Amino acid sequence: MTEPISRWSAVETIGRGVRAAPALRAGFGLTLFLAMVGAGGRVVVPIVIQQAIDHGFRDGQVHIRTILVLAAFGISAVALATWAQRTAVYRLGRRSEEALYGLRASLFQHIHRMSIEDHNEERKGALVARVTSDVETLAQFFQWGGIAWLLDSTLMLLVAGVMLAYDWVLALVAFVVAAPLAIVLRMVQGHLVKAYDQARQSNAEVMTQLSELVSGAETLRAYDAGQHYTAKVKEVSHQRSNSFIRAGTIGAFLFPSGEVFNVLTVSAVVCVGVLRGPASGLTAGAMVGFVFLTQRFLEPIAEFTEVLDMTQTAVAGMRRVLGVLEIPIGPPEPDMPLTLPAGPLTVTADRVDFSYRSRGEDDEPPVLIDVNLHIPAGQQVAVVGETGSGKTTLGRIIARMADPSAGSIALGGVPLTRVANADLRTRLTVVPQEPFLFEGSIAANLLFARPGLTEADLLAAIDTLDLRDWLDALPDGLATQVGQRGTQLSAGERQLVALIRASLVDPDVLVLDEATSSVDALTEVRIAHALERLAEGRTTIAIAHRLSTAARADRVLVLDHGRLVEDGTHDELLRSDGTYRRMYDAWVAATSS
Amino acid sequence: MDPDPVVDRSAVGEGTVVPERGSRLAQAFRLLRALLRHHKRLFFTAVTGAAVFAACTVASAALVSKITDDIIGPRFNEGSVRARTVVSILGVLILLGVIRAAGVVVRRTWAGRTAWRVTETISADVVDALVAQPVPWHRRQSTGDLITRAGVDAEAATAILGPMPFATSVILMIVLAGVWLVVTDVVLGLAAVCVFPLLIMLNLRYQKKVDAFYMTAQDELGQLSSAVHESFDGVAVVKSFGAEARETERLSAIAARLREARMSAVRLRSLFESLLDGIPTAVNVLLLVGGAYRVRSGAMTIGDLASFLYMFVLLVFPLRLIGYALSELPHSQAGWDRIRALLDQPIEPDPAATQRRVAGHGVTLRDVHFSHDGERDVLAGVDADIPGGRTVAVVGATGSGKTTLLHLVAGLIAPSAGEVAVPAEGVALVFQEAFLLAGSARENITLGAPVGDEEVAAALEVAEASFVLALPDGLNTVVGERGVGLSGGQRQRLALARALVRRPAVLLLDDTTSALDPATEAKVLRNLRAALADTTVVAVASRPSTIALADDVLFLSGGRVVAHGRHHELMATVPSYRTLIEAFEHDREAMEQRVGGGE
Repeated sequence: MTEPISRWSAVETIGRGVRAAPALRAGFGLTLFLAMVGAGGRVVVPIVIQQAIDHGFRDGQVHIRTILVLAAFGISAVALATWAQRTAVYRLGRRSEEALYGLRASLFQHIHRMSIEDHNEERKGALVARVTSDVETLAQFFQWGGIAWLLDSTLMLLVAGVMLAYDWVLALVAFVVAAPLAIVLRMVQGHLVKAYDQARQSNAEVMTQLSELVSGAETLRAYDAGQHYTAKVKEVSHQRSNSFIRAGTIGAFLFPSGEVFNVLTVSAVVCVGVLRGPASGLTAGAMVGFVFLTQRFLEPIAEFTEVLDMTQTAVAGMRRVLGVLEIPIGPPEPDMPLTLPAGPLTVTADRVDFSYRSRGEDDEPPVLIDVNLHIPAGQQVAVVGETGSGKTTLGRIIARMADPSAGSIALGGVPLTRVANADLRTRLTVVPQEPFLFEGSIAANLLFARPGLTEADLLAAIDTLDLRDWLDALPDGLATQVGQRGTQLSAGERQLVALIRASLVDPDVLVLDEATSSVDALTEVRIAHALERLAEGRTTIAIAHRLSTAARADRVLVLDHGRLVEDGTHDELLRSDGTYRRMYDAWVAATSS
Repeated sequence: MDPDPVVDRSAVGEGTVVPERGSRLAQAFRLLRALLRHHKRLFFTAVTGAAVFAACTVASAALVSKITDDIIGPRFNEGSVRARTVVSILGVLILLGVIRAAGVVVRRTWAGRTAWRVTETISADVVDALVAQPVPWHRRQSTGDLITRAGVDAEAATAILGPMPFATSVILMIVLAGVWLVVTDVVLGLAAVCVFPLLIMLNLRYQKKVDAFYMTAQDELGQLSSAVHESFDGVAVVKSFGAEARETERLSAIAARLREARMSAVRLRSLFESLLDGIPTAVNVLLLVGGAYRVRSGAMTIGDLASFLYMFVLLVFPLRLIGYALSELPHSQAGWDRIRALLDQPIEPDPAATQRRVAGHGVTLRDVHFSHDGERDVLAGVDADIPGGRTVAVVGATGSGKTTLLHLVAGLIAPSAGEVAVPAEGVALVFQEAFLLAGSARENITLGAPVGDEEVAAALEVAEASFVLALPDGLNTVVGERGVGLSGGQRQRLALARALVRRPAVLLLDDTTSALDPATEAKVLRNLRAALADTTVVAVASRPSTIALADDVLFLSGGRVVAHGRHHELMATVPSYRTLIEAFEHDREAMEQRVGGGE
């Protein structure tokens, strides 16, 4: 894992977790007290029986009145306990749901405010998992484990207390005989967890194979490889069954070992009780009561061992969640922001270095090294360079998606670190390489840039970019659904939507990360034209992947391994016979027929 | 087999229709019979274990009366008890405990075996069906849905098998305990027995209601996951429009809906679970009162009464689980219905069977039509004669049917009219997007075909993919999603080697070389020529440099072959071809103008 995971102990993690989700602590004392009262319901029957045998059936007589009084007490106690248990479980459930919601909300906020460099591809899945599956682990815990902790632990304490009150010798006998159960259960549990881990892995393997069998159906057909892969899937499916059966077999010993310990403990208690006899102050009622209490005492132990593992999983989940909240948030907001000057803006980079912090290792080479540049207001600049030259990163730090490791960027003479985010986002806009669209209509995606615009505003912007004919050709115009991640539109159409979206902000600085995906000829022409219209009158920094864009720009910057190696017009650079000239020659060779 | 799946599904799916208990049990029975077709013995072993458990549970509760009346009573009321009595009663108690435990082990182990072996059988059937269905069928399905059916639904369908033996043992236990209770004391016994069905009904009702809430919560969770996915994927857009706060709010609103759904479940759960604890306890106390009267009238002993109450305590826990077991039923039924829906579909005919197999290496298309939806023709009467050994570039605007043409020749789809004739020796298609399966590089190239490493190496060389041999583990290196990352170009060259290793008579390239840089592309195409002199190559191409390397050009427009000939001839005689090629070169021309203007 590339992300920092907090290395706190379980106790520390829980402490921090409670601080991150204060709802958990609110009123916990009362909840605990109610749970205690609720657990009382479970010892009503043993106590009533003990009392009945010792007082109600005294001297071979049946004292109905005594029994009735006992029953009245018993029923009232049960009613009270039932109410208390309901309230305790409800309180715990409500608090934990509130806590989880709060945790999710802070995760959303935090993750969206993290620097773009912490959102790299390899981490995206992990971040989603933090908000979904890790918080779900906590939810699962609170739904079962948390309640079990609350009810089982209070019940065991209470039962032990009643046993001790009846006869401490017998109570000790019961504890001593029952104690090894906990050890046996822990051992079985250890094997069980490993077995289930393995089973889950084999399950993941089956799911991968199945999903490939489906997604690769055409390939498998085209190469007549269906039989081969069917055999493979069946084999892993067989392995999966084996490992789940193995885990299940281990698990099958958990509950029965409680049963065996139950009869052993009852036998031991009865033996010792009989040996001690009535002379020790022990009564027949207490003896029968013990038989019932032993059952009550052992019942939660098996559940408890499972709860312990669930707790470990939950603590691990909490640790990962807290780990995300620990990642510093992205470019911080300035304390005393300066306002950007009105009108077109210059862009300046002063001795800018950049390395990706989150990719960790120290030997990671810097992405940008000592970049200095000044772009006058309104100039159209193209940045070219090979993959990995740092051109995309340069665009990102100009847009302040991340801050340089050293040096500074200024817009209109104001250092970016002093510009309020809200101010920056209305003055500078990025059109990313693979424009991202949200599921919904085209209009909804456009409004993402500026909520509150009218349809007429949107159409005006579309007219400005000469894209009205394209829009009108769509089945539902602005209401056309773009599908998940915009996949209902072609790559080129997604770019058009992104261009319109950017134009709505009416920015003074435009950072264009040019698309690499191939687009059909007609759309290509449309994009080029719309881009031209959009760039008019704005300071434009185009991260160019095709040299035709560079050729059209006022000025070309050439990056090579993070350094700005050439700076001039297209013609000048062609004549200088350097990096740019070599790139150009290769490109011409590719497009000649 | 399920005779009436449609009716059942609607009853289960909506969750608002309360089926009668009879129909629910009948449904469970039908489902069990369908699932257990091949694994009856495993299941009955589990049920036998469950029966042993039930019998021993009842017997050990009955033994409490012996402990009370024959050990505790004599010792504490009369002063002494014979050691032999103590030893024999406790001996029986321990023995029963051990047998009972063994019963549980057998039940659980075999229940697990049943469930997983049935899952395995179902998965195998599903996989067989998936592989047997041809490409057109697959194209009509949603990939995610199929994966869910083969994986998740198979597991859901069998989820009922795990708790089923336990549920039968609970029923058996109730019957045995009921008989024992009634035999011990008719009046009290009947009173106690009446409580069981009430508890079971309360339980089932609760499970049903709480399940509905959890289902809603699960839905909300699904929505939250996809929204989070989308939002984090679009983080660059969110940032560039300063929409962080708006997105946080949007996601929090969905999380709040999830919280509300869970809260409803918690409210219900806290009430019912407390009642399910409290009611049996209260009944137990009442039974004690009734028992006191019976003891006074001499109808039962104190020990019998203790046993009575103990039996009740023992039954409460299993009674709660039976509701849980039956709550799996709707999920299992739904899973099974979805699986059946897949398995019951007839296997569609193989499109490759419609092709005419001919000698030689040429490809012929006669008046070939193709339509995805039966309305709009993607191909509207294609005629083409591609002689063996030629390299043909298929050129056309987006949507002109180039890929469809290749898939027809590959036999992945069948023409709606017309005839496709291909060499009997075989055709290999390299897709536009290279699909790598999780596995070694070797396996990805051979795909199970019996070819040696030397042939693989030779194919890699032609495909300019020898980089594979230099990977950390050479041909054994794991590639694909979870293996080493390969670039788009590397994947395509690997996919090309996959086709070459089969020595096809016809090689179909669907814009395969577009992800390669022009120099590599040229090398690959030259290698192909040299190595596969008599193989016919049909390649979709959009780069002028690629088109230039072909012998002939097949120009498609509007689903027809507009022209078939040499590139320069078409440039001269077919204006629309010329326009298209010029559009491809648009970039370059724009630049040349700019360069010209600058000088």
